[in-house]
Amino acid sequence: MDRTLLIQELEKKLGQEKVISDKVDLMYYSYDSSFHARLNRFMPDVVVTPRSTEEVSEVMKLAYTHNIPVTPRGAGTGETCGSVAIQGGIVMDLSPWDTIEEVDVANMQVFVRPGVIHAKLNQRLAENGMFFPPDPGSSLMCTIGGMVANNASGLRAVKYGCTEQYILGLEVVLPNGEIIITGGMQSRAVKSVSGLNLTKLFVGSEGILGVITQIRLRVWPKPKGRGIVMAVYPSLDDAPASVLEVYKAGILPSGIEILDQSAIQAVNMYRAEINLPNAEAILLFEVDGNPASVEWEGLKIKEIASQRATQVEWATDPKRMADLWEGRSVVATAAARVRPDGSRVFAGEDISVPLSKVAETLREIRALGKKHHIKVVNYGHIGDGNVHTAPVIDPEQPQEVEAAQRLVDDIHRLAVRLGGTTTGEHGVGAVRAMYAELEHGAAVKIMRSIKQTLDPKGIMNPGKVFGPEEE
Amino acid sequence: MFKDTPVVREQIKKCVRCGKCRSVCPIFQVYQTENYSPSGQVFLVQMLRDGELEVSEKVAAKASDCLMCESCSSTCPSGIPVPELVAAARAYIGEQRPSAGKDLIFGKLWTNPRLLRKAVAAAGLADSLGFRNIARALGMTSILPGDLPQAEKILGKIPRASARTRIKTVSPAKGTRKTRVAYFLGCGTDLLQPKVALATVEVLNHLGCEVVVSPNLKCCGVPHLANGQKKIAEELVQHNVNILHKLGVDAVISDCASCTSTLKGHLYKDWLKVKVFDLSVFIVEVLGIPSEIRALPHPLTVTYHDPCHLVKAQKIKDQPRQLLKSIPGVELKEMAGADTCCGGSGTFGLTHYEVSMKILEAKINNIRQTEAQAVATCCPSCITQLSYGLRESGLNYPVLHPIQLLHQGLYKR
Repeated sequence: MDRTLLIQELEKKLGQEKVISDKVDLMYYSYDSSFHARLNRFMPDVVVTPRSTEEVSEVMKLAYTHNIPVTPRGAGTGETCGSVAIQGGIVMDLSPWDTIEEVDVANMQVFVRPGVIHAKLNQRLAENGMFFPPDPGSSLMCTIGGMVANNASGLRAVKYGCTEQYILGLEVVLPNGEIIITGGMQSRAVKSVSGLNLTKLFVGSEGILGVITQIRLRVWPKPKGRGIVMAVYPSLDDAPASVLEVYKAGILPSGIEILDQSAIQAVNMYRAEINLPNAEAILLFEVDGNPASVEWEGLKIKEIASQRATQVEWATDPKRMADLWEGRSVVATAAARVRPDGSRVFAGEDISVPLSKVAETLREIRALGKKHHIKVVNYGHIGDGNVHTAPVIDPEQPQEVEAAQRLVDDIHRLAVRLGGTTTGEHGVGAVRAMYAELEHGAAVKIMRSIKQTLDPKGIMNPGKVFGPEEE
Repeated sequence: MFKDTPVVREQIKKCVRCGKCRSVCPIFQVYQTENYSPSGQVFLVQMLRDGELEVSEKVAAKASDCLMCESCSSTCPSGIPVPELVAAARAYIGEQRPSAGKDLIFGKLWTNPRLLRKAVAAAGLADSLGFRNIARALGMTSILPGDLPQAEKILGKIPRASARTRIKTVSPAKGTRKTRVAYFLGCGTDLLQPKVALATVEVLNHLGCEVVVSPNLKCCGVPHLANGQKKIAEELVQHNVNILHKLGVDAVISDCASCTSTLKGHLYKDWLKVKVFDLSVFIVEVLGIPSEIRALPHPLTVTYHDPCHLVKAQKIKDQPRQLLKSIPGVELKEMAGADTCCGGSGTFGLTHYEVSMKILEAKINNIRQTEAQAVATCCPSCITQLSYGLRESGLNYPVLHPIQLLHQGLYKR
């Protein structure tokens, strides 16, 4: 279909104000946070911002009829090119559709549209003493729709798991425009084993199976108590050992985060008053629950960590806790501060390895950095083996870009070799699709046939999650 | 050269598009699409720098979609000075697409305090259509969009006499002279809020300051920078620095958040050798809050609005509040989102009326909920914008600079 005609049709269906077609305006939709999108320009033909299920359906029907690729997008904070139209076509920006439809306090659930910002949802839930536990570092900007599509998790997955555990049902618009509800048409049940679990099929599907238009989320009572133990380690190896010792003592913190020496430096450069001690590694153990058990667990962790750490702080002051947590949350971006002319690139940033291999992984990454002459900042959710690696390079120097690409490939292969995965929570998108066979073997065939069934024309977010079948 | 500007060369690559800026940008909050985000502005500058985009009317319009409020830069994990990048892009666009109207306003009028004062005074004297006629005559319509008739309402009633015409060049300290300071009388305060300036000088005198208001000082340059007239801004910097250095003062004081943030910012930092203070900081931390403040005749509930150029650009949050709390009879009641932008931002309200009003609406709602009797803030542009918002909403609150309340506490019975 001719682009001008497509725009006219979309404007007829949605109204001009929901169609972005100026070439300059489209440019802003050519990227997400990924390194891949910094190196390439992926211009969509048109962007739409629907605000109802019917509007989404209308767009899908048009796209289906004319074989036009559609790429759903939330805040565009992803790191995998997942929300970028690498084959052109329509980008469907769902972030302005940010209505919290209903907070069902009695049934401990909430109905939201895909554009709702994570932090705003939790702000609203807090008014009713509830919370949605997964806590991505990007809480202030990421959308719930994006979290569902990528099965995001973040800083509290140790205890509270990933987004998928909280999704009771979804409304999805299929590639042909048909609207379905997963998890039961009338259901407000908090558990159900009725039928094949289509909800879980769509959670983490990265927009390749359909467009998520409504989300029914299970929410939890907000714990009354919270505290953070900060432990400072003279050797990087001691930090993962401390984590295992805390688990062995029968304690499950809500989060266990690691910052290596460079990450510590970056946090202090971002905001000096956070004032982290200089060391090879710092662990942040977050505990939550009723105040008495928080106190007991916090002090117990402090005692265990003290066996290896040179300095341990038990923080319950809200200001100190907010500072420590903010330090950890911003390091993803602030990592670049360790090199004045450098930039942190999001690539190879999300491997997850067995808990028993974390120390080895950190050592190997350090060696790989040296091999490729790249400064690497490490941080992440050590409690579940999810290591975030931040290569800091000058992205405007071609040699450094090439070296970073080789480093990233090495890191991905290292994760698989150690019995882990190329991505713990950020997703595959376009940038890790080439590892699908390496990680999943024959199972990729089944994935392709599911995709074929739901999206026979291959218009939903093409080029993501797995590559085309080899001839 | 645009491409060789340090900020353009060094800062663009630091943007990883994490989107944190989306969560604080007032313009993004209104439109909610990436083409109105600060990360988008950084990308626009990159595209211009790399020649992937040519200057056009559309590109100029996109670069103008920024309040330069520093909400993004003050929260950016990479520390990118987005407004400085946007200013560089606007300067580049200005060079590529010269505008006779802009040259007239920013080159001829806004560099000549006497002429600017005359023009504004004429507008004040004219009937309700006066501003529009004068704006047209000056070619201002060529930089302002079609909503000029609405935009002029923001300015409200323009005072007939500027502050400068009512303030002596040197006002002696009352009692023993503690210090000699230059009062940097900003254009907004001078022309639109002259009462603030009179209160500032009198209170500073009261607190032992000899106050110098040089008739030769010109605009700080921020309107020029914001409107793509970087060269003129730089000329103003040199002019002002020369004068300030000759005044023999211990400090430069201003009651205008934008002036102090400009005087402390990248434009002046390599040149200006005299320390610059925001008025409230100077009173609270250097001179000390006077002990002889008398109670206001009637108790007054006041809510305080943080100007972006004070709270974000200079991290000044507590001192204006301390000043207000020091006045017996003033009860300070915090509004929700006190530090969010009011949408005024100098000429932005005039050039981007519609979005400016949407930003203002949220602010006015927050003010309304405090049930305060007055609003205080430290920026003439914010005072003008908030006054308009309150007038339009049928709320009869005065919008004052804290110095006016302190002045009342010192002088009024």
